[in-house]
Amino acid sequence: MILSLLPLIKKRGLLVAMLTVVLGSTLMVSAPSVNAQELTEASLRLKWLPQAQFAGYYYAHAKGYYREEGIDLTLNPGGPNLVAENLVASGADTFGISGGSDSLLAAVDKGMPLVSVGVSHQITPFVFVSRKDGPVKTLQDFKGKKAMVWFTGGNYVLFGMLNNAGIDRSELTILPQQSSVTPFINGDVDVIAAMSFNELYTIKQQIGEDKLRLFKSEDFGMTFPRDTLIVTKKTAQEKPELVKAFLRASIRGWHDAMANPKEAIDLVMQAAPTLNREHQEFMMQESYRLMTAGKAKTEGIYWIDEASLKSAHDFLLKNKVLSKPVPIATAFDGSFLKSIPIELRNP
Amino acid sequence: MNVARDLLKHLCEALLRGALTVLTMAVVWELVVRVGGVPSYYLPSLVDVLAAVTVAPGAYVDSALRTIAETVLGFAGGAVFGVLIGVAFFQWKALRDYLFPMFVISQTIPVIAFGAVVVLWFGNTLWAKAVIAFYMTFFPVTVNTLQGLNAVDPRQVALLRSFGANAWQLLTRLRLPAALPQIFVALKLGATLSLLGAIAGEWFGDSVGVGVLLLHAMYNEQIPALWAAIFLAGAIGTLLYAVMSYIETRFVFWRDEL
Repeated sequence: MILSLLPLIKKRGLLVAMLTVVLGSTLMVSAPSVNAQELTEASLRLKWLPQAQFAGYYYAHAKGYYREEGIDLTLNPGGPNLVAENLVASGADTFGISGGSDSLLAAVDKGMPLVSVGVSHQITPFVFVSRKDGPVKTLQDFKGKKAMVWFTGGNYVLFGMLNNAGIDRSELTILPQQSSVTPFINGDVDVIAAMSFNELYTIKQQIGEDKLRLFKSEDFGMTFPRDTLIVTKKTAQEKPELVKAFLRASIRGWHDAMANPKEAIDLVMQAAPTLNREHQEFMMQESYRLMTAGKAKTEGIYWIDEASLKSAHDFLLKNKVLSKPVPIATAFDGSFLKSIPIELRNP
Repeated sequence: MNVARDLLKHLCEALLRGALTVLTMAVVWELVVRVGGVPSYYLPSLVDVLAAVTVAPGAYVDSALRTIAETVLGFAGGAVFGVLIGVAFFQWKALRDYLFPMFVISQTIPVIAFGAVVVLWFGNTLWAKAVIAFYMTFFPVTVNTLQGLNAVDPRQVALLRSFGANAWQLLTRLRLPAALPQIFVALKLGATLSLLGAIAGEWFGDSVGVGVLLLHAMYNEQIPALWAAIFLAGAIGTLLYAVMSYIETRFVFWRDEL
């Protein structure tokens, strides 16, 4: 048997060839990128997977608006396992689109050195949906029914709506919502939360728009501005010009994306080619509607509306999501935005 | 040339055998969906699955290449490291006593817990995924190398010693070759495990890869695209396994004699 092993040594040639290929490709990958000398390197961690919710950033990136402002920006997609607050606080990313006012306030409350320099969605970006022919016709009808909502912040909006209507939340079954709206489509739950630019589109496609009843949190006295732009306190203090430059390029990106919607969607679809184009077209319009709602109509996009943030804060404090009061002025800093002329910020 | 032709022949044979099974399953699938009236969000028709691929074929090709690159890099690193550490554990018992428990503990950490940290360390790079693929590969290779080395017939060792073989010669001429069948068991297992690792790594914020296709399809409720991504992952796993078993037949050619 030992003798029969001898030819094995000749096979080393194959092994060496394989190793060479592996090592060769290794070297190619690690070659440094060139010509980024006078540009500041920065990254933006998106809140979610690449989609038209972020069309303005993709547009500004592809058109070189960030480079013109002296930023070599990398767009990093988010996803179900990532929390932008953590990635920005740890320094892995420079900028981040965080969950929203709720998650940012909670992060600041926990001592994370973060500050928001702009708010994207001025109003709650999701609604609660029931079937028109079903048993849930008013908010009071939620009692005794099954409702689904994300337990990553969306639940507070539901709690707030119920609270304002004088409904004890223990009177209904509230289930954690996963990726799919299938439980609602199948009729397993009576009410489900839906991002107005995402799940709501899917539900409308499957059930039909006229067969749905929508519950908007604003109609029940709750507004949670979401998708806040965040940086570390250190970045805000030491690199204010970088923050301003980023905001200028992003605002320009959104304006031009909305002026050239077809091209903007093309650019998003380059990042994620398997997306459904019609859905993305709808998503961009709807995202921009959320960005230009409320105070942003007159004060410009990314506006930090202290009144609505304060009411969200007070609600979170009352429900013990926050352990202590978080002054809005420490968690949000509108000075970078205000340095940009209002004509440029207006929608 | 010869090697390439052999590999091709090996793959073709495996493909032909597989094709018959796959074809039968496809027919059953299509019948169940069409005749049984299964809603498409439970099980889409295969025609719809193919249509999902044709919408953006480039994305599937790019993703497959990227995932294969991550897997192969991590797998190669894990295989080399696993064999080296296996040999080191065999040669130095103290090393094994101190380090092996650490290795076991490292494997009890779910990859999903570990993934977020890897992204913090390595960012959205190919390396981050290769590291996770490496993490999935090295342990089974270490364990099997150690077992294979331990299982060598002591009479053969005694025989080579009596001819004056030193420790290095014993290792390279007898122990490692004799452990190869056992090592290849781990390598075949590692090939599919490292693919799992690479795909899990892609769930932590990347833009290309089979894992990304899965995520996009899942969260955008594109069920046919979800199945297309599942099939792609299966195809890559099968390919890697086939390549490893081919290499095994070349390297462990005496296996049938055992």
